[in-house]
Amino acid sequence: MIAAHATEFAGLPVRDFSRKRRIVDPTGTIYRLSTDYDAEDPFTDLLSRFLEDPNAGRVPGLVIGAWQGDESDASSEPIVEALVAARETLGSLRALFLGDIISEENEISWIQQSDVTPLFEAYPNLEIFRVRGGSNLAIGTIRHENLRSLIVETGGLDAEVVRGIRSSDLPRLEHLELWLGSDGYGGNVTVADLEPILQGDQFPALVYLGIRNCEKADEFARALAKAPILERLEVLDMSMGNLSDEGALALAESPAVAGLDLLDIHFHYVSEEAVGKLETLGIKVNADDRQEPDDYGGETSRYIAVSE
Amino acid sequence: MRPGERLMRVVTVGNPSCVRIAAFQDALERAGQPTSVVISYLDLIRERDALDRTMREGDCLRIESPGQEFEVERQLIALGANVDDEPGASRIGRDGALRLLFDRGRIWFPRQWFLGFRELLRDVDRRRAAWPGHVAMNSPSEIEAMFDKPRCHGLLVKRGVSCPPSLGRVRSYDELRQRMQETRIFRVFVKLAHGSSASGVVALAIGRQGVVAFTTAEVVREAGEVRLYNSRSIRRIEDGREVALLVDTLAREGVQVERWIPKASVDGSVFDLRVVVIGGRARQVVVRKGPGPMTNLHLRNRRDDPSRLRALMLESEWDAAMSEAERASSAFPSSLHVGVDLLIAPGYRHWAVLEVNAFGDLLHGVSDRGLSTHDAEIAELLGGWAA
Repeated sequence: MIAAHATEFAGLPVRDFSRKRRIVDPTGTIYRLSTDYDAEDPFTDLLSRFLEDPNAGRVPGLVIGAWQGDESDASSEPIVEALVAARETLGSLRALFLGDIISEENEISWIQQSDVTPLFEAYPNLEIFRVRGGSNLAIGTIRHENLRSLIVETGGLDAEVVRGIRSSDLPRLEHLELWLGSDGYGGNVTVADLEPILQGDQFPALVYLGIRNCEKADEFARALAKAPILERLEVLDMSMGNLSDEGALALAESPAVAGLDLLDIHFHYVSEEAVGKLETLGIKVNADDRQEPDDYGGETSRYIAVSE
Repeated sequence: MRPGERLMRVVTVGNPSCVRIAAFQDALERAGQPTSVVISYLDLIRERDALDRTMREGDCLRIESPGQEFEVERQLIALGANVDDEPGASRIGRDGALRLLFDRGRIWFPRQWFLGFRELLRDVDRRRAAWPGHVAMNSPSEIEAMFDKPRCHGLLVKRGVSCPPSLGRVRSYDELRQRMQETRIFRVFVKLAHGSSASGVVALAIGRQGVVAFTTAEVVREAGEVRLYNSRSIRRIEDGREVALLVDTLAREGVQVERWIPKASVDGSVFDLRVVVIGGRARQVVVRKGPGPMTNLHLRNRRDDPSRLRALMLESEWDAAMSEAERASSAFPSSLHVGVDLLIAPGYRHWAVLEVNAFGDLLHGVSDRGLSTHDAEIAELLGGWAA
């Protein structure tokens, strides 16, 4: 489950805008806009108020939280449209998090996203884009000079999104993080879908690759272990998935993995022994939060961290 | 005993083998007070004048939880057999009740159990008038109110306590869905009206995608009947028919339905607080963490002291949250102690009272300035607390 809202984004502390409804600290804070279940104003009003604030042009970032109160089927489309329309107003925006919604507020697979591609064209200075919720999420082919960080958090990612990303021209992309999720919630990304990225030519500046919250972690680990891109990476993140010894050992045997700065597999199903093998590589390994498989009704399951 | 302090005789109604009794006896000993006289629930049910014959001038009455004792459970269900009530809930005759066999985790006739417990409490209340001067640590009528969640919620709201909004009475899953549409509250907690703690609780959300429910309750269909159980682990259900059956089964017994207000988290775990309010002041506090929407001391969840949380809140915010718990307890002025379940919202700036527990003072190993809940209660009594 996702238990907490972001307290920090793009290196700055996050504060709720709804409290004071004024941009008090435009450059030292990133504001979160969200509507509570008992909020008086609908989200669009709150966003308008933010945009009308005299300091809106100075904010470096924005976090969009729950935009729908209790209702789970309100699409992010009007918000994306409003943000695109506000491109002149939010002239300093370089970091955007669309969907800071926790499990207590909504199931991740119930968050209704939309086509976020227009945001990239509207904000050529955008450096960090983070989105949560895979339902109806669309990312097409993007050409963006400045994007450094792309994070897509889902309980089930559609391969079409990966197709869009892998065909994109992002010369400054350093951090690519994808939560693949489970097929029960629409996740259908295969190793083949990631192949162009794994070949290593796609994103020349990439140093962090995250294939996270993955239900086929062993399979992806085997593929990543031999992927040319690994030679350029500093960090490989396979945390929150159902990685077991099979995948861990494939990683342990990879010379390219041994060249990483950090291998992050926290929340995993890997035995102590296999973790030991990873640790002998001489690289930093995060193997926190070992999970026990779940035995219910005679079946053993290795659940990923966020599958809901 | 400290010089000048009086001796106080406590008469406890409870289940003698229960840890609660022993814990309170220990506290009495620490305070240099005589051991409490214990009247078992079984004795009281069979001989209603047991307290009449026992209570002396200056005594203090302590009513303890009747829980954790199957024979008492049967007896209370039997006692409720002949109490008139609206139709709907499951009922069983007196003889049938006395012949029930133990079935671990089984939720038996919750409404009828309440009717029996209520009958006993009201009887004690009636008889009290004839007893010599005494102090009652908890008033029977307030215990009754705390075991009736819809009524309890009303009392709290009347008192101005911040509570999740109630969706009113629902008698079925269909009615619940309709009410949720009408109120536009799509995430709710459904709780047995007369259950304790996490008994018969479902956290439920509906959306275009369907329904999702989190619960420790389980419906089992066996031998042509529908049986309701509590388990110790939370399950996630997405099958609409299974959710419907569960909610229908609970709703028949009477449920309290409230908005599901998001809970804050600490170190990755969602939590709420149990605040024991004694003599109107918030005293012992415990953080109850859970991996899912339910947090409870009986479930295998973690509980912590609040220092980690307090570091994340302003002092003034913490104090205000404690005041909210105290306000909840003020709705029950004749109860020396109440256990308040308090929700803290994400951001740690808002809170809501989720439950008020009549027997919520069993907090083993938790102290407030060196005193356990029982120590603090005894100190209040010796200090002259009276309802």
